[in-house]
Amino acid sequence: MGSQRYPTEALRCWGKAKELREEYYLNYRDAKARGGLRWAGGAWTFDAIPYGLGDDVYMLTSEPYGASIAFNKELALQCMEAAEKAGYPRDLCSYMRIYWGSILLDKYPWGGGYPKPDFIWQDHICCSHAKWYQVVTDLEPDIPMYCVDVGVGPYHQLTEHKIKYVADQLADGIEWLEKVTGRKFDDEKFIQAVKNECLSTSLWAEICTLNKAVPAPLDEKAMYSLYVFGTLMKANKKVVDFYTELRDEVQDRVARGIAAVGNEQCRLMSDTQPPWGFLKVFRYLERYGAVSVGSLYTFGLEGIWEIKEDGTWGPRTTPMAKGIEIKTRDQALMIIAEWNLSKPEWQHFYHPQLKTDMMARIAREWKLDGIMLHYNRGCEGLSCGIAENRLGLLKEGFPVMTFEGNMGDEREFDEVSVLARIDTFMESMGYKKLY
Amino acid sequence: MDIFREWYHDRHRYAREWKEKTGGKVIGYFCTYVPEELIYAAGMLPVRILGSHEPQDVTEPHIFGMYCPFCRDCLAQGLKGRYDYLDGIMIAQSCLHIRQAFTSWDIHVPREFSYFLPMPHHVQSPRAYPFLREELAAFKKALEDWTGKTITDQDLDRGIEIMNTNRRLMRQVYELRKREEVPVTGLEAMYMVLASQMTDKVEHNKGLGEILAELPNRKLERRTGDRLMILGSENDDTAFMNMVETVLGATFVIEDHCTGSRYFWNEVEWQEDRLAAIAARYVDRPPCPTKDWPKRRRLEWVLEMAREWGVQGAIVVQQKFCDPHEADIVAFQKALQERGIPTLFLEFDVTVPLGPFRIRVEAFLEMLRQEDLF
Amino acid sequence: MITAGVDVGNKYTKVVVMKDGQVLSKYMVLSGFDQQQAAEEAYTRALAEAGVAREEVRCVLATGAGKGAVTFANDTITEVGADAKGAVFLFPSGRTIIDVGAEEGRAIKCDEKGRIVDFAINEKCAAGAGSFTEAMARALEVPLEEMGPLALQSSKVIPMNAQCAVFAESEVVSLIHSRVTKEDISKAVHDAIASRIISMARRVGVEKDLVMTGGVGRNVGFVKALGEGLEMAVLVPGEPEYVSALGAALAAAERAAG
Repeated sequence: MGSQRYPTEALRCWGKAKELREEYYLNYRDAKARGGLRWAGGAWTFDAIPYGLGDDVYMLTSEPYGASIAFNKELALQCMEAAEKAGYPRDLCSYMRIYWGSILLDKYPWGGGYPKPDFIWQDHICCSHAKWYQVVTDLEPDIPMYCVDVGVGPYHQLTEHKIKYVADQLADGIEWLEKVTGRKFDDEKFIQAVKNECLSTSLWAEICTLNKAVPAPLDEKAMYSLYVFGTLMKANKKVVDFYTELRDEVQDRVARGIAAVGNEQCRLMSDTQPPWGFLKVFRYLERYGAVSVGSLYTFGLEGIWEIKEDGTWGPRTTPMAKGIEIKTRDQALMIIAEWNLSKPEWQHFYHPQLKTDMMARIAREWKLDGIMLHYNRGCEGLSCGIAENRLGLLKEGFPVMTFEGNMGDEREFDEVSVLARIDTFMESMGYKKLY
Repeated sequence: MDIFREWYHDRHRYAREWKEKTGGKVIGYFCTYVPEELIYAAGMLPVRILGSHEPQDVTEPHIFGMYCPFCRDCLAQGLKGRYDYLDGIMIAQSCLHIRQAFTSWDIHVPREFSYFLPMPHHVQSPRAYPFLREELAAFKKALEDWTGKTITDQDLDRGIEIMNTNRRLMRQVYELRKREEVPVTGLEAMYMVLASQMTDKVEHNKGLGEILAELPNRKLERRTGDRLMILGSENDDTAFMNMVETVLGATFVIEDHCTGSRYFWNEVEWQEDRLAAIAARYVDRPPCPTKDWPKRRRLEWVLEMAREWGVQGAIVVQQKFCDPHEADIVAFQKALQERGIPTLFLEFDVTVPLGPFRIRVEAFLEMLRQEDLF
Repeated sequence: MITAGVDVGNKYTKVVVMKDGQVLSKYMVLSGFDQQQAAEEAYTRALAEAGVAREEVRCVLATGAGKGAVTFANDTITEVGADAKGAVFLFPSGRTIIDVGAEEGRAIKCDEKGRIVDFAINEKCAAGAGSFTEAMARALEVPLEEMGPLALQSSKVIPMNAQCAVFAESEVVSLIHSRVTKEDISKAVHDAIASRIISMARRVGVEKDLVMTGGVGRNVGFVKALGEGLEMAVLVPGEPEYVSALGAALAAAERAAG
């Protein structure tokens, strides 16, 4: 397209990503027929643990499930209307309403009816996380539910007893799992899954770090299709392998100067989940040569980070790389609890300043020109404190624009007005449409 | 009885006078999971921050409009300087809505002391007790560091005693509301418990003691009429309560609000380890919906109250956009209706439109009365 | 150099023709269903009034919700950009611009050259715009243009929640029934809508001087409520509805020169 400045290339591992994702949903659907188990929980749940129940255990994580349906506008609307008809308010989390709607309508987008899980394994960080599945058990009373509280405060104030609170709940959860499934818990399989999770979430952070390069080798629209594995099965070996391959490919792109958007001249980041039915917003940005190189959301929802020796942000060093040998269940539980509590996307629940600081860091290190905040009516969790983030980022000197929408409910997105806002924002930063 | 209403309406004057009189510090808190026992033990006055029910235009830059009007109303009080006498602010972990009022206050109206207490959500897990006990120890230390004074076991005992007395007396008032002809209206009871959250409880306890001497023989100038329960999120909408009780002739005989029964229901039960005892009290109290999972314990409790207080109809209210309650309402309405208690759902805002709400409640009462005929 | 600005709004289409920083003519027509035709008509009439031939115009910039329909324009400029430019031309000291039209309210912070520093626009809701006053005028059974002057006759403060036009309408009806005067209700309506706009404007941070543009600038009741709410003087141009078209004509001159 207009004013090409850099070479572009399609991602080689794109096909593999598609395959992996498809397989995930089909495996879950067909698990029972093969004598396996299936469970449901959120994208943030401690999914390393159910791996201790065996290799034939498959999960369906609820947020990516909601997002997948949201991408299919017609089905999403049907689901939300079914939930509304059952009395659930329209301003609740849109993934959650879609999920309940899929139960009420008994529909699964990959064929067949809603595939009922054998158990629910959830964690609670925003107000809706535990309630989401509590309502599922209202609708399907015979599904047993376990949920872990992770609200122990921000990572920088973490102490031993806080980690222990989470780890102890997980230990109780293992006993509970043995009871409801009748299976013996295998610590070795669990420890392997813990290692996988540390590897995959650190690898994802490494891939995002590569996007500091100019031109950016990945744009956020593509990242949505790639980060998703961290939300589907972050403790699975397949994800470790896929992210390793992806990391190598992105490294190669950086070395050869391959851009995601060939006319890159303006670098942006977004915030919170995008309105899934309107990803064309990102295509529209390209007309200005603007590329969104990521967000705290795509980087830190599943990616695990640390401040490196040179003071910049990079992938967190895994316990294995530090030479720590994980031998016991209790040790593995403490490690995985602590690892998850360092998640960037959990910190703003305690104070918006923590998120503002991380965003300002990204804006500097990823060399951004501006920031677009999605005031997302669909997610009270990630929109929490967003207005203060806006004020904080303006104070740091970055141009910020906001637009309202909803990740899953397109009825709350006004396309014409959002594009008009983008025009104004780009005009105010001095960019003109290239085509 | 008027004293409670006066305390509620003159909350700022009360706190200022208290400060002047005692020279003590005042801490404003945003959620009733804050352990006031420790604040009393430290010789300070805890006051709950509530809104003023006036339309306002100052919070838009700070809290996105999809969060509840209550949290924005609370923040507006801070931004407008109405709580300028506060020495400290704090919150215990509950919902994300009110937490934003706290964090924006922390940024824009900073005080000497600011504290976030990670009150556990998983109160149905035995792990919540030791966790909260440690968090209370950390909070106690933060208070000690701030004031430079050690909080002794005797101090804690005094704090517990003040709080427990208040709870015991409030329970006695609520017991009397079980009578066929209640001696106190829902609005009066609301003023009592709200006032307890913004006054020195030693004084409030005295007020309660005096009123309790009269209450058993007190006769209202009107019949109790329809026995209603009101339940849901934060509610200090006295205008609505007044409209239902005076214009429409029904009476609220019981409620389930964090501004009401959930706040004072259970006492601290003595243990040698005072902090463990206080922790147990907060873990075991009637839960906020953010903490009420996986089982619906709050529902069991509401149904039990409805039975004991002879409730004929329930008004389920919710602050607009309150996610935790929105995830409860369907299950609650269903369960109440299955037990023969019709429900009416209303969404509250900073100000409620009394006209349209009157029509809804009137129709609801008419429906209740028809059911009585059959 | 002669340039023109065409502002195709939801309700009206406005044209300003300029020569070397002087306005030659202005024209306004109803936008109707066919925006292209409305733009053509307004432009033709404005040119005729200015006594200027089409080919004499160096550059035409279109703005407004229907700017894409202006086929004869050389380019477009965003509504916010045009607004800021026009307002700072009229009031060089203007740093905050509040523009309230029929269906949209905007707040813009700009620098001394009329460049945008920050902006906020109301979301999908009528409560923050001119149509809200129209709905309330209907409920009060008062012609729209009398609403403002009526409000000036009252000094009462009646809190009204303007979150939702439907609930506000029923609040107005309740007030009528409780015999509150039309003057007081009219003031309450303006206070409520001004409060919504102020709320939004605070997002960009309100700095002096404050300029109000857009059709609602003609409503004296609203302007007073706005000024009182912000505790600030409000500068209103004589013809506030033309500010965006004027800004577009000014931007056209800059582009033609640059």
